[in-house]
Amino acid sequence: MKFQRTNADRESWKWPSPREIVRLVVTLLAAVLLQTTIAPHIRILGANPDFALIIVVCVALLRGAEVGAIFGFLTGGLVAVALMEPVGLGAFIFVLVGYYAGRYAETADLSAGFAPLVSAFAATFVATALYAIAQVLLERQAPLGFFLGRVFVPSLILNTLLAGPLYVVVRFWLKEGGDLREARVA
Amino acid sequence: MLTFYFRGTDQGAAGGAQGAVLEVVGPLQKGTSVVTKPFRDGWNWTTGLFRANSENEALREEVEQLRAGLAQELITQAENEELRALVKLDGRDIFPDGVELVTGRVVARSTTAWYSTVTIDLGSDDGVGVFDAVVNGSGLVGRVTSVAGDWSQVTLITDQQSYVDSIVMPGGAEGILNGSVTGDVSLGYVDKNERVKVGQHVLTSGRKGSIFVRGIPVGVVESVGAQEVELYQSISVKPFVDFRKLDIVQVVVR
Repeated sequence: MKFQRTNADRESWKWPSPREIVRLVVTLLAAVLLQTTIAPHIRILGANPDFALIIVVCVALLRGAEVGAIFGFLTGGLVAVALMEPVGLGAFIFVLVGYYAGRYAETADLSAGFAPLVSAFAATFVATALYAIAQVLLERQAPLGFFLGRVFVPSLILNTLLAGPLYVVVRFWLKEGGDLREARVA
Repeated sequence: MLTFYFRGTDQGAAGGAQGAVLEVVGPLQKGTSVVTKPFRDGWNWTTGLFRANSENEALREEVEQLRAGLAQELITQAENEELRALVKLDGRDIFPDGVELVTGRVVARSTTAWYSTVTIDLGSDDGVGVFDAVVNGSGLVGRVTSVAGDWSQVTLITDQQSYVDSIVMPGGAEGILNGSVTGDVSLGYVDKNERVKVGQHVLTSGRKGSIFVRGIPVGVVESVGAQEVELYQSISVKPFVDFRKLDIVQVVVR
């Protein structure tokens, strides 16, 4: 898999249509509302599901790196604002997740169908690790055993399991603009 | 953006934006909280059943111990009533004149383990301000850290960056109560020469300059330890408040 853009990639890139942008905005609002109103009430094995992160991954897989990165930035920023958490941290992490999930979709073979699960797993892995590093820099520390057992592993399992159904819903909602897989097959 | 946020104040642009967004999201969070409450109660009830089974044996032993301590407790209670009469203190007089208690409900919780915060449906329109203490029927819940018109963010005493000036009663040993990411609460900076025992109560000390009034129940001493190389005792405290079931709270408005 190569993450570097080729000239052909750059030339084939086009911005989403206005209708697509409206659908993306609705998806963005749904992601923020799910994360701020539903997710706080669901706690399994000590972890809350990260609907926002999974939806960023789904959008990036369907729309590519640029849209994924912008969508990630806006989602991360809005969720932090709504939950009164440090603004900027989530946006930064979600930009990375959105961009690299998008690049993965543009460069890898997604025909097997488990790309959403693999991407959500990898995204949760990276996001949780980056978040933990940032928290340590902000002088919040947790014992390693607690972090692994009550934060890291439960989040990985929960988000990976939720990625499948959420991907189906997001794909159905954004279907109008086609997806990367179909575009490449064509 | 991070620099902007951390260098800004609650009244700054970042704080203002958070307040504005919370005004929109707040009602939705409140609605979701009400709708999901039966499911959360059901889940808590189910998990409580399993927990109750394992707690049964421990409780039997505890009943035996409590029976033995009952006689001593009756004597202590009589002394306690006398002391209360002396200082004219009763349960309703914890809060000084001019203090108002405003009742609200928890509508959202932090979704990460790194922050122990909740959002409540009280804000500056209800007279709530930053640093106001938050309590419920069991004891101290936390303090208000951000305020919008109808919503506030409360940092719980289990948060790693929560510090409460506390006192152990009886005895009067003073220390700083601090939370942690794991949810454990400890009482730090208690001198080694102070005699602190398991089962003693921890209250807010209400020293001059403290944001909490004196005498709010916080928790009970769960374990006490001291190592020779350390200057202070290592005291673990079990909060009175069950933070998993936090619902109705009161803000101490000064």
